[in-house]
Amino acid sequence: MIEASPASVDTREKLSAANVSVYYGSFQAIKNASLKMAAKTVTALIGPSGCGKSTFLRALNRMHDLTPGARVEGAVMLDGQDIYAPDADPVIIRHRIGMVFQRPNPFPKTIFENVAYGPKIHGERDRQRLATIVETSLRQAALWDEVKDRLNRSALDLSGGQQQRMCIARVLAVEPEVILMDEPASALDPIATSKIEDLIGELKQDYTVVIVTHSMQQAARISEYTAFFHLGEIVEIGTTTNIFTRPREKRTEDYITGRFG
Amino acid sequence: MASAVPAARRLASDAAGNRGRHLTDAVATVILWLMAVSIILMLIAFIAYLFYLGFGSLSWQFLTGPPSQQAGGGIGPEIYNSFYILVLTLAFTVPISLAAGIYLQEYARPGLFRSVVQFSAESLATVPSIVMGLFGLLIFVFYFHWGFTALGGALTMTLLNLPALMRVTQEALASVPDSLREASVGLGATKWQTVVRTVLPSAIGRLTTGVVLIAGRIFGETAALIFTAGLSVSANHPYELNPFRSAETLAIHLWYTHSESVIPDVDRVGNGSALVLLIMVLAFNIAARVVGAALTKRFTGRSS
Amino acid sequence: MISLQASKSHRNERVAVNVLRAAAGFLILAITLLLLYLAVEGTKTFFVDKFPVWKFLFSSDYDPGNNVGGSAVFIAGTLLVTGFAIGIGGPFGIAVGVFLSEIAPPRMAQILKPAIELLVGIPSVVYGWLGLTLLVPFLRTHTSSPSGFGLAAAGIVLSIMILPTVISLSEDAFRSLPRSLREGSMALGSTRWQMITRVLLPSASSGLTVALILGIARAIGEALAVQMVIGNASQFPNGIFAPTASLTTEIVIDMGGAPQGSFQEHVLFSMAFLLLLIAMVLILIVRFTLRRRA
Repeated sequence: MIEASPASVDTREKLSAANVSVYYGSFQAIKNASLKMAAKTVTALIGPSGCGKSTFLRALNRMHDLTPGARVEGAVMLDGQDIYAPDADPVIIRHRIGMVFQRPNPFPKTIFENVAYGPKIHGERDRQRLATIVETSLRQAALWDEVKDRLNRSALDLSGGQQQRMCIARVLAVEPEVILMDEPASALDPIATSKIEDLIGELKQDYTVVIVTHSMQQAARISEYTAFFHLGEIVEIGTTTNIFTRPREKRTEDYITGRFG
Repeated sequence: MASAVPAARRLASDAAGNRGRHLTDAVATVILWLMAVSIILMLIAFIAYLFYLGFGSLSWQFLTGPPSQQAGGGIGPEIYNSFYILVLTLAFTVPISLAAGIYLQEYARPGLFRSVVQFSAESLATVPSIVMGLFGLLIFVFYFHWGFTALGGALTMTLLNLPALMRVTQEALASVPDSLREASVGLGATKWQTVVRTVLPSAIGRLTTGVVLIAGRIFGETAALIFTAGLSVSANHPYELNPFRSAETLAIHLWYTHSESVIPDVDRVGNGSALVLLIMVLAFNIAARVVGAALTKRFTGRSS
Repeated sequence: MISLQASKSHRNERVAVNVLRAAAGFLILAITLLLLYLAVEGTKTFFVDKFPVWKFLFSSDYDPGNNVGGSAVFIAGTLLVTGFAIGIGGPFGIAVGVFLSEIAPPRMAQILKPAIELLVGIPSVVYGWLGLTLLVPFLRTHTSSPSGFGLAAAGIVLSIMILPTVISLSEDAFRSLPRSLREGSMALGSTRWQMITRVLLPSASSGLTVALILGIARAIGEALAVQMVIGNASQFPNGIFAPTASLTTEIVIDMGGAPQGSFQEHVLFSMAFLLLLIAMVLILIVRFTLRRRA
């Protein structure tokens, strides 16, 4: 595994995984993965399907807690504190590290209720503040103009692309510091996809983004750093430019050039 | 952005708001656990109590002797009648529901007939058992002039249990994978041959489990039988095969001794009857699982 | 030779299909006849004996020996007992349904589910007997009830009897919710209980409605267990521990002594017909709810 430290970039670590392994029962899905993610950057996780990118991503916000039989070893540090420490509260962790899923998963509630859900469960009750948060989040997600007149209609009536942007707004509403994205555009058409990619470009000014993508072109377009996964291991890490133009590992090069899917 | 991200935020949950909702979560979880456990305890309590009350009544004399207006009566004929009506009911119910279930699951295409049949079954299932008993009273006791008969009771019970057994059939058939059907048809078999030779044997385990469970329900049924099969057993011929006679079952006997009759040892008889009923139901329940699993293994080689 | 064989099995096929179709058609015949006969016999009170419908429903003047059949007491009894039963059994059942779907570890489910199935299997007359020997004396000594028989005893017994129905339907309703809903909520930082109450319960509302309605249908139709503990007094209960009667219990008590063709018999059939109508309405509501969800 090669780690390339890019030259003139701020290496302030926001999130870093140290020797993370994920087991499902006795099967080891992720083998000893370490990755440092700098603040306010976009890190892309690429690799063939089934190689563990999503599994690794889910270890970053303790989503594996929800899967019976799953076990995570190693440490994941957020601002220097291990999120897997015994006294760490998963509820707070997921407040600070948000996640957008592959398929949009709106709640069967109104658009307003969906976006306001996060702040509400964290204790926000003031209606004025909630309304402000909802508007701000929807604006950030580039969805406000399209839905501002129908906030009280069901979120299920939106198109796929709109639902996904609403899900992003939903995450933004809890004011996270890190946003994890698991192939957020893979279920969407090309126009919706490009809107999401534009959105990610905006978001990285304020948030640290880690995105799993099966499209190398997408990774090349939107990320500064890239990690290449294969068979549960991180094979190579580097700046996106380096990974795609001067890969150091043979496996990386084979994947980039399309020798295996 | 409404506010800048705060600088140092700890990961541990000692913020007041968080403690509140973690507490709610914990308390709610404990309460739900208590509720679930209470159900198990309730069941154990019921079974234990019935055994405690009724065990003393169990004796060979009690189980085989005839009922009596004086102390010392038994429940022999009633047990016999319970089985008699059970067998008679199944004799009608099984063929009809099997046939109807096979038709709906394997043959019927979506359309008016199928929907109406499905709706009829659902409606029949919601008829309260006492109302079904009154229907039986109307038809068999009044219009046919049979009076109280075991046959009338069995036919009424058939109507009562048709929907349930139909659903069992449909679910058992649905559990058979389509690949089996395709293989059979691909070899040139007709649909009927496929059903009889391939699908039914595969489904036999689940079918049997369902039938035995429903048998347990039939054994304990009362409301549908009170006004069709009657409340008495013939004093001279308590164990007969003729279906055209009044046939008090064990379940009805339990109700009757408590509510209407005035025998002096009503508690002894009642407790014993209740316990025997419970034991029979438990036996049916266990048998359903055991026999069903054994049959599935025998006919398909798999465990489920 | 081959063609002869083929036509024989095709003939078998056709015979078989017709037999099966007849069996299916029998169901339609059965429910139709049932509705018809009960409607005819159940309305004789109004058409033959000329007793007014509104009195049947709303008057509590009940003296069938003198051709007076105001059944309001029994209708009220049915409603009260059912309300009591679903009031306790409904929330309890949904809670245990939540438990089974979201909280129970597999080993607990392996114990709890067979236990619930056994509870279903216990015959209603045995529940009545348990009510009689366990609950009624308890109520007699520990509450204001003079005899122990009454609305409360019947309501408690009934709530236990409908628990399995409500539990299993509620559990199904929760299990059928997609996993993505749970992940979405947890990923936003909710506790499990917040996820259950704020996302799962509202999303499962139509399934839970069905569970409750079917629980109510089960309660309304129950006759014997209720009859054994309700006290069988033809009066409005003046408290939850007072003895009373319901439609089903009245039928059980008096049908045996009602001569065929008498006013009493007609009134009892009218009660049965009313019960049938209520059951039909409930099932239509369930279908409507399910169709709206789809």
